[in-house]
Order: sequence, then C-alpha cells, then structure tokens
Amino acid sequence: MDIDSDDEIPTLIEHPTTARTAARVPLTIICGFLGAGKSTLLKRILTERHGYRIAVIMNEFGDTADIESKAVNVSSPDDPAAEESEEILELANGCLCCSIKDSGAAAIEKLMQRKGAFDHILLETTGLADPGPIASIFWHNEEFAAGLGRDIVLDGVVCVVDAFFGTQQMEEDHSGSEDHIGESLKQIAGSDVVLLNKVDLVSPETLATVESLIQRVNPAAPIHRTVRGDVDLAHIMGIKAFSAPPPSLTPVPVPVSAPTPHNHNHGHGDHCDHDHADARDPNHYELRGISSLQVSCPVLSPARFDALDAWIRSVLWENRIPDPSPSSATSTSTDAEGKGETELLVLRCKGLIAMETGERYVLQGVRSMYDMIQVDNDKEGKGQDEDIDIAVSQVGKIVLIGKGLSEDVRRSLINAISGV
Amino acid sequence: MLNNDLNLRYRGKSFFNGPFGNFRAEPSAVSQKLHKAIHVLASGKLEDGTYNPFPDYAYTGPIRPVYPLSKTRIVPDHIPRPDYADDGKYQVLSQCAASDVVISGRPLSEVKRSGQPPRILTKEEQDKMRKACRLAREVLDIAASHVRPGITTDEIDEIFAHVSLYFEGYHADLNATYPVGEIDDDAKKLIRTARSCLDESIKICKPGALIRDIGKVIEPIARANGCSTVRTYTGHGINDLFHCSPNVPHYAKNKAVGTMKPGMVFTIEPMINFGSNWDEIHWPDNWTATTVDGKKSAQFEETLLITETGVEVLTAGKPFELP
Repeated sequence: MDIDSDDEIPTLIEHPTTARTAARVPLTIICGFLGAGKSTLLKRILTERHGYRIAVIMNEFGDTADIESKAVNVSSPDDPAAEESEEILELANGCLCCSIKDSGAAAIEKLMQRKGAFDHILLETTGLADPGPIASIFWHNEEFAAGLGRDIVLDGVVCVVDAFFGTQQMEEDHSGSEDHIGESLKQIAGSDVVLLNKVDLVSPETLATVESLIQRVNPAAPIHRTVRGDVDLAHIMGIKAFSAPPPSLTPVPVPVSAPTPHNHNHGHGDHCDHDHADARDPNHYELRGISSLQVSCPVLSPARFDALDAWIRSVLWENRIPDPSPSSATSTSTDAEGKGETELLVLRCKGLIAMETGERYVLQGVRSMYDMIQVDNDKEGKGQDEDIDIAVSQVGKIVLIGKGLSEDVRRSLINAISGV
Repeated sequence: MLNNDLNLRYRGKSFFNGPFGNFRAEPSAVSQKLHKAIHVLASGKLEDGTYNPFPDYAYTGPIRPVYPLSKTRIVPDHIPRPDYADDGKYQVLSQCAASDVVISGRPLSEVKRSGQPPRILTKEEQDKMRKACRLAREVLDIAASHVRPGITTDEIDEIFAHVSLYFEGYHADLNATYPVGEIDDDAKKLIRTARSCLDESIKICKPGALIRDIGKVIEPIARANGCSTVRTYTGHGINDLFHCSPNVPHYAKNKAVGTMKPGMVFTIEPMINFGSNWDEIHWPDNWTATTVDGKKSAQFEETLLITETGVEVLTAGKPFELP
C-alpha cells in the first residue's frame, strides 16, 4: 500500500506461539448488506501493514461468500501453487484468510493450533446473515476457555452499511424468516459498531437520514463514517463490546478527530446522540417492526437487582413481560400472551447497572442469552477486564432492541427496577 | 420382549473392549454407547493378536486402546431406529479444508429443532420416557453386575458405563462409574464426589428453578473435594430427540437459558476430574475422551422429569453405594 515507509509500523516480533497462557484471541463478527463494502474493508485489512496478525475467516464458504471471496482476490506471493492453497491464504503482512463453513469455534481453534494464535480474528458473515446466532455461539464458547492461548473471546459485531443504498435497504427490507424481521435490520440491531461506508457518494441530507435511521434502530452502537472501508482499526477491533459498558451509555470523551470533508472515522454516535435519544419517545419510531427502548436505571438495591434479573428472564426467555403484580395476578397468565399484540422479541440488549452497594454490572444480551457481569475491578483488581474505564455516573441505563417493545414493556421494566 | 433382547445383548464381557464406534458408525436401536469404555493397558502388538492402533499418540494417562474392537452389532431391520441411524440424515458440515478438522454433524432432526425452547411432554409422552428410562437403568445394572477384577489389569480401578436407549420413539440416557476391586482413597473420593455433585444438583430441580443454577451447585462441590468439572460435556434435553434444549452446563459461571417447567425432561451428567484441570482431549479414534493430565475422572448421569411439585429421576436405580 501507499504508506510512507517511514511511517510503517515495525513488524512485530512473533509472539503468538509463546503467548501468555491467559491471552485470549478477540473475534469480531463483520456483517453488512450485500455490496456495502465488507470485501473492500477486508481487503484493506489483509493487505495493509498494520502490524497485527489477523485471521480473516469467511463464513459459509461455497455459499454467498464464495462470490464475495473472489472479489477479495488476494494472492499470496509465497504460494505459487494456488491449487494447493485450498481455502487458506497466508498473506505478506502476516494475515491469513480462510473460508470456513462451520460457524462454531472448534474449527478456528484448530486452525490456531496449526498456524499459531492470531492477534485478532475477523469473521465475515454472508450478506444475508443475521449475526445474532453466530455471536451467541462464540459468546457461549467463551465458557470453554481452556487457557491455552488460543481461546476465542467475542469482541464485538460490526455492521457495514452502504450510505447510498442503506435507507432504501432498511425500509424495503422484506424477510421470509419466521419473525418477519428483515436481515438488514437484524444486522443493525445486533451490531456494536456501525460502519457507514461510501459517505463520499451521498449528500449531507442522505447521510443524515440514514444515520438517524440507524440510530433509531440501534441507539447503543456508535456510527463511524468511512470511505472505501478506510477506518481506524481501533474502532472495530478490541472494542470489548461483550465485556465493557456500551460506549453510548457512558460519558464520552471528546472525539479524537474532528470531521473532515471526507469524514473519515467520524465517531458520530459517540458524542452527540446518547442523550436526546432518551428524551424522545422511543416507540415513536418503528422500522418494519423493529424498535428500541431505553430506560434510565436508578441505583438498585439487591432486591431490585433480582427483580430486574427476573424481568429480563421473562422477556428474553419467555418473550413476555412478567405478570403485572400479585393483586392482578388472578387473571390468567395467558392474558399476557394472548392479547394479539406484536410478539415480544429482544434481539439485543445492553445496560449499565449501578448498585447501592457500589458495584456496577454490565448487562449484555444476544437473543435469549444474557449475562450481567460485574465490572468494578479497580477495588480488588480481580475484575473481568483490566482496562474498563467507567466515568462515575450514578445512573445506569438499559437499552433493548427488538420487536414488540411497546409502552407496556417500558412501564413494566420501570416498575421492576423502581419497585412500584 | 425387547427387554429380553437387551439382556442377551449385554451378557458376556466382550462389551468391555468395544464398541468404539460413535452412534453414527454404529446405528443401533439400542444405542449402546459404552464409549469411553475400558481399555486394557497395553502397547504395541501382543501375542494374542491385539494391538494399539495409535502407538505414536501422546497418551496422557496409562490406558491404551486395544484393537481389534469387537464387531459392530447389526440391529435387525424390524427394530425401529432413530433417524440418525441413517447416514443421510446428518447435518452436512464442512471444515476449513486445509486444517484436519472434522466437524461432526448433528442429526438433522436435532438441528431442525435447535434454538427452540424446551418441549413440555404430555402425560403419555412422560409415560413413554418413564418406560425407556426404566429399561436403560436395567441395562446399566446388568452391565454393572459384570464388573469385577480380572478383566482389566491392575492399572485400572474404575470403569465407566454409559447406556443410551431408544424405545418406542423416546430416548433414555444414563451413566455411572464403578469401582473395580479395591480402589485407592483418591479414586473413592472422586467417585463419591461425582455422585454427590449429581445428587445435590438434582435436589434443586423443580418448577421455577433455573437451569443455570445446576452448575452453581455442582462446581463448588467438585472444588471443595479437590476436583474440577468438565465443561465440554453438558446435560441436555431428551425426549423424542436424543439431544435437545435445554443445554445444562455443569460449571458455575454459565449463561444457560431456561426455567424448569413441569413436563420438561433433561439429563444432568457432571463429569468430574481429579485435580484442577477440567479439560479433556480425544484419542485419534475421535471417540475416547481422556483428561489432559491423565488423571482419573468419574461421571454419573440421570434422566430427570420436572413434575408439578419437584423432580422425578426417571432412570433411578438402587441408592448409590459408596465405594
């Protein structure tokens, strides 16, 4: 690439095979609409000299990704026999490109056994895939970490959206899936970061429209504007979306880069939308059945924390809000299900919860799987993650993204956490 | 009638050195997965014609495979079998072709229903489960009655037996670990710990209890006894499908989904390793699991039905006698 050689990052001394036993390899799932620029982004990562040993795994080889992988078209200089390369390409910058049909972690772990651990894994899904189930698999797989230095930890889900066609794609998204939610909306709903690509091709108005659409579907994900997939890798790698508090739920530092005419890496969602999004009626806008709901969460007593946990179990596992109260519980519980209202389905939830006792918890949920992990590590130094940096704020927040998030759901959640 | 058939099938001691085939290679209405069965300590070719098929494999413990295995038994055509008995009814998974990994597929019937909430069985289905589970217990007890010193070498002091049974469309699953002759105190403690992990976790089962709390009962018991809980095998829902939701982890920190409800059937089967290493690896036969440090391991499993008031151990046998 055309990087001045003086600026080149020196090649790192290879360490993966001697990695500290506790090291875990972060994995980022990259999804995005067909043609949005995923392949361009990956080609960039595979060929640029960034100094990381990244494995790019194309999921579901032989399916849609087959076509897309051809577009990547990267050849390895030390691989003259293309026939023998099968589906693995090892690239000059130390990266590796591999196609894989199984979405499980075992194949990737085995690959690392052969090739040495990577610094990072990027898993590309097909343009039509809902990232939720794949994220669940890797998130669940973390429970099997063996401490061998090739354990995978889910870092986050990144969605690439076409700034030019994005609005149209979201609005016209039809789906034959059971839940009638279009795949493009599932991709945005399930993302931790959105890359809004091709921003150089659209007018400011179009850009504003598509950004506001994305934010309303997923208020928790920061949006980065890009041109030809040119993004600071720090925005998509090492984001710890499944262990750190969501960025839009915490006080955010001043953005590093001011918008330029090209708006590269403009961390839009980081600094201007997390507050007024809350003021707006979250149900005011609903895109093809998908909406989001944000609730401020007061400092909780242990009893309220348990009530919140029970509420989440009911909503995520049983797809219904808990029976209102003991007094009105005489009416049969089937009432809640049989109202003919839109079915309740949460695709993604995130939250930051502060306790009276001083602890803080991060709520993460993908579909029915969720976790509330304590993030206060500074006191005893035994927290989940060493570099979580939560600015002190007394109030927590809970964000749900999904279907059927009506005013009833909102009220029920508020009741659960406030003890009304 | 089938019961008698089973008795015949399991008489004799030949089952101790086989079969190794997993249930795909060995379609069987009585899917006698006596896997991880016992293997005589041996290496290289012996005078009796047996041999170690993987002499170069870095075994973690003293046990070695002894081939040839006993012949795969053929199930007569008139016995109905689960759909996974046919090779064609498997999920097709490929793998990273340049790696040597073979990802074994799951039965299509199980794949189709994966992600679904646990099924609540009708009273009739519960009766069928009861029957299948009773038969499975009988098979295991018969197998266990043949455990005695002499069929193994001195190096082996416990054997593990696992019975999975398919009867009138429903599956049963149970396993147990038995001492062989006199065993040392560590082995006794291990077997007791494994049994106690299972028994204590069964005690919390009732409507409204959380699946994720099962592992929170098991792991502390294992740890308190200097043992660890294997993470890679989990309990599972079982009904007309052999493996279905809920997924039941045996370790404490888990994100398992689900609340127990009357009519739900699942297994709990904690595999407990001596020492702090819970990881296990497989022999090149792709079937036999051993601990990575070669230390002993013990496991017990029961199939459970959640009732209106609590839990019924469908595979219940005589009370466990401490070794």
